[in-house]
Amino acid sequence: MKKRTIQIVAKQVWVHTLKNKSSFWLISFFNILLCFALISGYYHHYNQQKTVKAYSHDVRERWESNPDKHPHRMAHYGYVVFREKFPLSFFDFGMDSYVGNVVFLEAHKQNTINFSEASLSNGLLRFGEISVGMILQLLLPLLVFFWGFGLITEERQHGTLRILLTQGVSWQELIIGKAVGLFYLSLTTYLPCFLLAFVFLLLDASTYHNVEIIGRFLILIISYLSYFFILSLLAVYVSSRSKSSKTSLVSLIGFWLFFALILPKVSQVAGKNLFISPSKIEFDTAIEQELIEQGDSHNPNDPHFKKIKDSLLKAYHVDSTHKLPFNYGGYIMREGERLSAETYQKHQIKLIQVYQKQQNLIRLTAPLNPLIAIKNISMALSGTDYIAYNNFQNQVETYRYHLAQTMNELQMKYISNRVKNSADKNARIEKKHWEEFPDFKAEFLPLRAVFMNEIISFLSLISWIIGFWLLIKYSGKHLKAF
Amino acid sequence: MVALLIKNFIRSKGLLVGLAILFISGIISLNIGKQFLEKNEKIIQKTSHFQKENIDRYVQYMNKEMGLLLYYVRFGLVNETPNIVGLSIGQRDINPSLHNVTIRNLEEQKYTTDLMNPMYQLIGNMDLSFVIIYFFPLIIIAFGFNLVSEEKEEGTWSLVLSQTANTQKMLRLKAGVRYVSILSVLFLLLLIAKFYLSIPFDIYFTVYILTAFFYISFWFSLVWLVVSFHKNSSQNALILLTSWITLTIIVPALMNALVIQLYPIPEAFSTVLDSRDGYHSQWDKAKEPTIEKFHQLYPQLVKYNHPKDKDFSWLWYYAMQQMGDETAVASSKKLKEKIKQRENLSKKLGLWVPTIHTQLTMNTLCFSDITNYLAFIEALERFHEQKRMYFYPKIFSDTPVSSEKWDTFSLAYFKNQPVINLYMVLLPYLIISTLCLLWANINFNRKKYNL
Repeated sequence: MKKRTIQIVAKQVWVHTLKNKSSFWLISFFNILLCFALISGYYHHYNQQKTVKAYSHDVRERWESNPDKHPHRMAHYGYVVFREKFPLSFFDFGMDSYVGNVVFLEAHKQNTINFSEASLSNGLLRFGEISVGMILQLLLPLLVFFWGFGLITEERQHGTLRILLTQGVSWQELIIGKAVGLFYLSLTTYLPCFLLAFVFLLLDASTYHNVEIIGRFLILIISYLSYFFILSLLAVYVSSRSKSSKTSLVSLIGFWLFFALILPKVSQVAGKNLFISPSKIEFDTAIEQELIEQGDSHNPNDPHFKKIKDSLLKAYHVDSTHKLPFNYGGYIMREGERLSAETYQKHQIKLIQVYQKQQNLIRLTAPLNPLIAIKNISMALSGTDYIAYNNFQNQVETYRYHLAQTMNELQMKYISNRVKNSADKNARIEKKHWEEFPDFKAEFLPLRAVFMNEIISFLSLISWIIGFWLLIKYSGKHLKAF
Repeated sequence: MVALLIKNFIRSKGLLVGLAILFISGIISLNIGKQFLEKNEKIIQKTSHFQKENIDRYVQYMNKEMGLLLYYVRFGLVNETPNIVGLSIGQRDINPSLHNVTIRNLEEQKYTTDLMNPMYQLIGNMDLSFVIIYFFPLIIIAFGFNLVSEEKEEGTWSLVLSQTANTQKMLRLKAGVRYVSILSVLFLLLLIAKFYLSIPFDIYFTVYILTAFFYISFWFSLVWLVVSFHKNSSQNALILLTSWITLTIIVPALMNALVIQLYPIPEAFSTVLDSRDGYHSQWDKAKEPTIEKFHQLYPQLVKYNHPKDKDFSWLWYYAMQQMGDETAVASSKKLKEKIKQRENLSKKLGLWVPTIHTQLTMNTLCFSDITNYLAFIEALERFHEQKRMYFYPKIFSDTPVSSEKWDTFSLAYFKNQPVINLYMVLLPYLIISTLCLLWANINFNRKKYNL
C-alpha cells in the first residue's frame, strides 16, 4: 500500500464532501450541538458540585455543633452524605441521573441512597439526555454513515471506479484512503468540542487534586478517535460491498438501529430473565430473617447476647455487668452492629453480583457492538458507570459503620455502667469528640481499576480495527468494479 | 386500481418484512409489559405476607407497650397497578409502587427507593409505547419515502400520468394501502394486548388507542408532506430520518435539559437535613416546648401529657418524631411543587412535539407518570396521618396490645384516577396533521404534471 495514494484518495473525499453546501450546515450544526451539550453539562455539573459542597459543609457544621450528649444519640443523629460527581462526568452523564444522591447514615440501619435525578423527573428523561457522550455515541455515527454510504457505490455508478482501479490504485488503498478521508471529515465536528472540554478541565480546580483526570481524558479521546475510525471503515466497507448507494445507506442505518436501539434492549430483557434480582422487600426481609436468628442487641435477654454476657463476666471475674471495666451496653451494641453490618454486606455483595452479571451480558455484546463498547468506555472514564457508583456505596457504608462503632467505643470508654439511661446528666460526653470524628471524603476509583473493569470494551475496539484491517487486506478479490 | 395496488403491495417483500418487524417487536414489548406486571404482583403478594408475619412477630415479642410495638410495626400502602401499566411502564420502574411505613416520622421513610439495576433504568423498557413511538414511524418512513420518487426513478411515472386522470387520487390510494396495513398491525397488537394483559376496555384504554392512532396518522401526514415536494428518494429519506432523529432524540433531550436547568431541586437535599435535625435535636432540648407544639398540632390530644418526673414517655417520643416532619414541611412541599412544575412545563412544551406529547399522554393513561407517583405520595401522607391518629390515643393511654385486632391490618391500596382532557390530548395531533396535509395539498396541486 502506498501512503501517497492513500493521501490522495483521502484528500479527494475531503474536498468532494466539503464542496457540498449541506456539509457546512451539518458541521456547524454538530459543532453547536456538541458545544451546547458540553457547556450545559459543565454548567449543570458545576452547580451540582456547588450544591453538594454547600450542603456537605452544612452537615459537618451541624454535626460539630451538637451539644454534649450520649454517644448513642449521636450515632442515631448520624450523618448525611451527598454524592459528589466525578470531575469528568459533564462529558458523559451515563447512569448518573439514575443513581441516588443523598443518603442518611445512622446506626443499625443501611438506608437507601435517595433522590436520583430520575426520581424527580418525568417521562421526558427517558428519551435520553443530551450530553457530549450521547451525541458522539448515537448521533454522529449517522453523520459518518451519511457521508460515507456512497463513497464507493457512487464511483461505481459513475464509472469512475474502473478508471481509478486501472490507474493502479489498489482496492486496499482505495478503501483505506476513503476511510481516512471520512475520518478526517468527522474530526471537523468534534475536535473543537474536545479542545473546549480540555480547557474546562484545565480551569477546574479539582483536576489539580487528581492528575489522573487528564490521563482519563486522553484515553477517552483516543477511544473516541478509534471509534470514529472504525465507523469510517465500516461505512466505506459496506459501501464497497453494496450494489447501489441505496442498499448501502439502508444497511448502515439498519446497523445503527440494531446496535443502538434493539440490541441493548434485547440484552436487557435476556439479562432480567437469566439473572433474577430481588426486590427491596425481599432483600430487606432476607436480612431481617437472618438478623432475627442471630439475636437482638437491644434485648438484654436475647440468648446470643446472653452468652456473650456470661463469657464477659467470667473473663473479668465479676458477677454483674455493672462491674465491668467498660460500658456493657456499648459493648453489646458494638457486637450487634458488627453482626448486622456483616449480614447486610453479605446480601449486598450478592445483589451487586447479580447486577454485574446482568450488566456483563450487555458488556459481552461489546465485541459485536462497537456502540456499546464505546458507551461503556465513555461512562467508565467519565466516572458515571456502575462501578463508580458502587464504589461510592461501599465508602458510604464503611463510613457509616465506622461512625456507629466509634460512637459505641466512646460509650464503652466514657459511659459508666451505672447510668440509668441516655437522658442522665452523667451519660453525656463532651462535644469535642464530635469534632474529632473525621468528615466524609469520597475517593474516586483509580484509573487502573476503571480500565480493568472495561477491558472487554477496550479489546473490542482494538479487535474491530484489526478485524477491518484483515478484512480489507484479503477482500480485494471479492469486490466488483462495476 | 385498488386491487392492483394491493397486489403490488403484497408482492413487495420489503413491505411485508416491515410489517412483520412491527408485529414481532410489538409482541416482545407486550411480553415485557406482562413480566413487569407479574413481578409487581409478586412483590405485593410477598409484602402482604411479610407484613402479616412482621406484625405477628412483634405483637408476640413486644407486647408490653403499645408505643414500643408501634416503633417497629410497618404498614404497607400499595399504588395500584392496573394492567394497562404494561403498555407504558413510564416511571414505574424508578419510583416504587409500594411503601412500607412505621408511624414514626414519614420524611425519613417516604423517599426510600426500590432496588433496581441502574443500567436497566438507563436503557429503558421496550414497552408497547416505545414500539409505537420509535419503531412505527421508522417503518412508516420506509413505506412512504419513495411513494412518488420510486415511480419517477423506475420510469413508471409517465405511465401513471398517461393512464390516470387524477394522479393525486392514485397516490392517495397507494398511501392508503400502506396506512391501512400499518394501522391493522397496530390494532391487531392492541387487540392482543387487551386479552393478553387483560386490560379492561375503559376510558383510559380507549384514549390510548386513539392516541396511538393519531400519532401514527401524524407520521403519515408528515411523510405525505415530504413526498409532496417531489424530491428524489434519497433526499426524502434523509429529510424523514432527520425528522425522526430530531423528534425522538434531539428535541426531547434538549427539552429535558431545559426543564432541569429551569427547575433545579436543591429542596431534595434540604428536606433530608430539615427532617433529621427537626427530630434528633429534640433529644437535647427541653421537653415542654416540643409537647406544646405537638398539642397545638393536635388539640384533640391535649388531654395526654408527659409525666413531669419521667425522663421518657411515648408521648414525648412521638412528639419528637412528629417534629421531624413538621420542620421539613416547607421544603418537602416545595420539592413536590418543583416536580409538578417540571411536569407541567414539559407537558405544555410537549404539546407541539408529537413524540413527547404521545409519551407523556400514554404515561398518564397508563398510571405511570410522575403525577401518579406524587398522588401516591400524597395518599401515603394521608395514610400515615390516619394511622398515627388511630394509634396515638392508644399509645398515650397505654392501651394493652392485646386489645387490638392485629390481623385486620392488611395492605391498603390507593388508586389514582387521572382526569383526561380529550381535547388537550387529541387537538395537537389534529392541528399538526392538518397543517401537514394542507401544505402537501398545495404542493401537489402546483406540481400536478411535474415529470
